[in-house]
Amino acid sequence: MAHTGGDDRASWTATPPAGLVQVLGFPLVLDRLYHSRTHMWVLPAGPDVARIGMDRLGTETSGTLAQLSFLAVGAELAAGRPFGQLEAAKFVGPLVSPVSGTMLAANQAVVADPGLAERDPYGDGWLIEVSLSDAAGELPALLSAPDEIIDWFVGKVEDYQLKGWIAQ
Amino acid sequence: MTDVLRVIDFGRVTPLRSQTLWHAVAYGVSAGAPPALSFARPSDPYVCVGYHRGLDEVDEQYCRAEGLPVYRRMVGGGPVYLDVGQLFFQICLPARAVPASRLDALRTLLAPAVTAFRAAGVAAWLDDDTEICAGDRKICGHGAGQIGDAVVVCGNLIERFDHERATRVLALADQAQRAETLRLMRRYVAATPVDTAAFRAAMTSAYAGALGLAAAAGELTATELDRLAELDGRFTSREWLAGPAMAGRAQARRARQVKVRSGVWTFAAESGDARVVASVVRGTVNRAHLTAPGLNDSTEAAQRALAGVPLASVPDVLARFGGPGRQLAAAFAAADGKRI
Repeated sequence: MAHTGGDDRASWTATPPAGLVQVLGFPLVLDRLYHSRTHMWVLPAGPDVARIGMDRLGTETSGTLAQLSFLAVGAELAAGRPFGQLEAAKFVGPLVSPVSGTMLAANQAVVADPGLAERDPYGDGWLIEVSLSDAAGELPALLSAPDEIIDWFVGKVEDYQLKGWIAQ
Repeated sequence: MTDVLRVIDFGRVTPLRSQTLWHAVAYGVSAGAPPALSFARPSDPYVCVGYHRGLDEVDEQYCRAEGLPVYRRMVGGGPVYLDVGQLFFQICLPARAVPASRLDALRTLLAPAVTAFRAAGVAAWLDDDTEICAGDRKICGHGAGQIGDAVVVCGNLIERFDHERATRVLALADQAQRAETLRLMRRYVAATPVDTAAFRAAMTSAYAGALGLAAAAGELTATELDRLAELDGRFTSREWLAGPAMAGRAQARRARQVKVRSGVWTFAAESGDARVVASVVRGTVNRAHLTAPGLNDSTEAAQRALAGVPLASVPDVLARFGGPGRQLAAAFAAADGKRI
């Protein structure tokens, strides 16, 4: 994906994500930032705008996604607080925002077809777009270097396999 | 010192309170109150929809005529009919005490209920879809959710089940889908009328043991009582009942689908003038009712040909019936049993 600019919100072309690698059988894209605890990725598209989605390990441990819902466009988001809800296996739980800001858009395609977030987690299965309120303060705390992203992801896969949450 | 598991038996309460009481407990546990195992029984029948589900899945006109209130809960699952023949239970813990994997959390928090069913004399087991079953029948409805920083898993002991009414409250496409849904409901959902007191005692013992907590009779905290008042208001508001904004939901529901239990569902769908009402059991067509211009005398043959066919093979089977068959296959394509 590439940011193509815009007046008051981001827009993205539908090109395949750069830096796609396979890590222990799971796809991972290295062109963006990751929040280690929530499995959310953040793809900045300028100094104050970003797209957010869930990595493949996050969707895998959620179970088959049945429903997704998001706060309304214009809602204020706080890092560590929910920006929406995910339902899988009759379990409704929060989608936790890795950043603070204002909701610019929710992906209606993924609301209509939650499986899109599983099939294309780094592309068309994105979740929301956000106007960042503290990019300088929050983005540096996310994982950004390819090596540290891969190390973190490998550790998570191995941990989840050990716990029996995902298949060996 | 062992931490406490509050055991709260709310007894027989109004339909509204049979929902708001345990939601209040979840907010309390989120705010730091001890974990809780609670029980409640609704005094009167009502309908309850899962957090994300549309009101259009409920026959609201019928519910109004029958005086059945409709409430929206904060946990998952579809619309359900609830009445005095069901004892609800809820286990509520701080989110940090629950596995981050939702499936693992569900298995962990439903396993003690299975133990309790067995202790009460029911040969219960937890299937791969985290449903509590006896044989191939579902015997316990469940839902789960994270409310604030607490996780709650709820379920029910079904002492008596009104299959007819549980089907009637649903908004279904037509009489064919209603009849098929009722048939499967009778086949795959069963009551287990055990001694209620023994079941409650077994639940308390099983959950306290599994969680390493000391069970003690409890009551609502001041925070929970405050929340209860707020929840009573929220759950009776039209705004809450309408559900979360989901602009794409209508598009997602291309077929009217009803899950009876995991892997068992019915659907009704159309493509052009072709129409399908079918039941699906573990990925294969159980029964199909077909209508398509031009199918004429081949209708019964096509219906018979579909029985026992895996959903993925339906287009191949229907292709033998020419243009009408292909139109029917397009209607079948709207069904997606994985996400209901």
